[in-house]
Amino acid sequence: MSGKLLIGKVLLLLVMLLALVGGPALLGCTGVNTIPRGWSGGVIADDTIFLGSMEGKLVAIDVSSQERRWPDVPFEASKKATGFGCAPDAGGVAIYGSPSLTEELVYIAAYHGKLYAINSETGALRWVYPREGELEPIVGGPVSVLGKVYIGSSDGKLYALDAATGDKGWEFETGGKIWSTPSVNGDTVYIGSFDKKLYALDTVDGRKKWEFATEGAIVATPLVYDDTVYIGSFDRYLYALSEADGSLRWKFQAENWFWGRPLADGGVIYTASVDGRVYAFNAGNGDKIAEFNLGSPVSSSPVLSEGSVMVASQAGRIYAVNSGQQKKQLVDLEEEIYASLAASGGVVYVHTDKDVLYAVDTRSGAIRWSLSLESE
Amino acid sequence: MINILIVVSGYLLHNFGLAIIALTIIVRVVTLPLTTKQLRATKAMQEMQPKLAELQKKHGKDKAKLAQEQMRMYKESGVSPAGCMLPMLVQMPIWIALFQSIIRVLATKPEDFLNLSQHLYSSWSQVFFLVPLNSQFLWLDLSIPDRFLMLPILVGGTMWLQQKMVMPTTSADPKQQAQSRMMLWMMPLMFAFLTMQFPAGLALYWVISNVITIVIQYYMVGGWGGLMPAGAQKPVGRDKKYITHITRVEEKPVDFADVGADIGADVGADIARKAAPSLRMFKRQAKKNKGHRPTRK
Repeated sequence: MSGKLLIGKVLLLLVMLLALVGGPALLGCTGVNTIPRGWSGGVIADDTIFLGSMEGKLVAIDVSSQERRWPDVPFEASKKATGFGCAPDAGGVAIYGSPSLTEELVYIAAYHGKLYAINSETGALRWVYPREGELEPIVGGPVSVLGKVYIGSSDGKLYALDAATGDKGWEFETGGKIWSTPSVNGDTVYIGSFDKKLYALDTVDGRKKWEFATEGAIVATPLVYDDTVYIGSFDRYLYALSEADGSLRWKFQAENWFWGRPLADGGVIYTASVDGRVYAFNAGNGDKIAEFNLGSPVSSSPVLSEGSVMVASQAGRIYAVNSGQQKKQLVDLEEEIYASLAASGGVVYVHTDKDVLYAVDTRSGAIRWSLSLESE
Repeated sequence: MINILIVVSGYLLHNFGLAIIALTIIVRVVTLPLTTKQLRATKAMQEMQPKLAELQKKHGKDKAKLAQEQMRMYKESGVSPAGCMLPMLVQMPIWIALFQSIIRVLATKPEDFLNLSQHLYSSWSQVFFLVPLNSQFLWLDLSIPDRFLMLPILVGGTMWLQQKMVMPTTSADPKQQAQSRMMLWMMPLMFAFLTMQFPAGLALYWVISNVITIVIQYYMVGGWGGLMPAGAQKPVGRDKKYITHITRVEEKPVDFADVGADIGADVGADIARKAAPSLRMFKRQAKKNKGHRPTRK
């Protein structure tokens, strides 16, 4: 066989091997459109932090002793998961939203389309919704207020359930998926949708009070502060709307999407964007007071602790910022952070993508403790 | 290419399926010169296979002579085996980029969206408004595999047609025939199986790409090629260049007396006498091939 012919055949063999073995990897089935992992943030009450692990379990940890309050509560994987890596939604129980608490129960929603109510003292399951079957994937977290629990689903509906029994009170259908966590203020619940609108609904019967149309999908959680609703959109704008009728008060354009929930402190609105910046505005007129470049996208919601706003970048760095243009890096965890932060007693709690929970001192930046959430 | 896909979708009724089709056509048009070069080279290689087999028979035991004669034939015909593969390898990064773009834009989970956000051009504001794209196209949800299996069948079927068109219908080499038959069925079945696992958006791209290749082959290779019975095929256009070269090589008179002149007339005459039967055979073959030559207009 001549050299050129041999080269030609070898090249052909290489191309075939590439298509067979390397094809899926080269052609995009690596880390993109693979199994959902989740990034649940924590919620704290009575020295206990509740959050969802990446194994799809509800974990309750005593922050003083770092011991589990009760055995992790597992959630059954979805039966409708099919396909392998290249096909989306291929298996696994992921939890994206932070849990919500009442005095007795903790509520947590899983990506496979179920909402669970669990006794916060014992870890026993109280009820699950829906009782049969599943909703479409749930990405946002539940909100429990005044005897009701609100949760949105990828079927485009916001559900209002009885907090004690899980019975459905009402549902409201939007024109697109709901990945946003609802916000409740008084007798109004606010929710954003992939149909690019923010809705204000009556908590009693789900009747629409008003809607505001943006130009991009909404996955961020609305903030209600001082008669104004603040919401970020995929059109790169942060909107400030009148709580009464949804009329526009002011808006601000960033370089990329808004994903997390804004934070209010002392007349200043802080919001982070996946463009890697944290913005601070005068809540009343929208004047930009400060802008902080964190060098990495921010998708988690900030939290207030010890007079400073704590923000985490996806690269794993925790910052403390304030309206005085001060930015201080507290710590670099060197693990990616997508989950929202939780804070209590001078400590900020961070759940990283390695499924590790860190407790970071908000003054010194020292890591007080860290705990893997993986099953022992 | 991600941003182009999104913008094109915006112009095509906000339909991602139409955007995939449009961008596939655009990419194939841009790479058309490379594709046609590759197809012509492949076709010419196939035309040469019987001649190469004859050389193999004639000089099988003399590797050096065989290599020399093969090199001479390649050189005179202007065909290179590597020339069949190099255009494909050059195009592969473009195809991979389009493939990956489709995967990324078909974001379904939060992780995918966050990943996509880092690939959007801030100077193209419309890409932010358009995402997430409408993944419904005909009966398909482009973000998940085709549940009705129509696309895997179309992928396998179009790939089979594509390969059958360029498969040589006459080959004296049974090994090559067996190899061609195996490739004809193995690749389509393999890709059809893979397509069952891929999001339908990728499968749609593959079907459109195969259909375009079939159209190109129809005009470059000569009609339906291997789909037609042997003898019914006719060369077209620039394929004549390769056929003319090969025929010219065969018709070139081999005067062994001239060859022998360097080493003595007697030796040369002896070689010429012994080679005469082979020479007659070559001349008969050349005459036969003349009958297949297209008539000049």
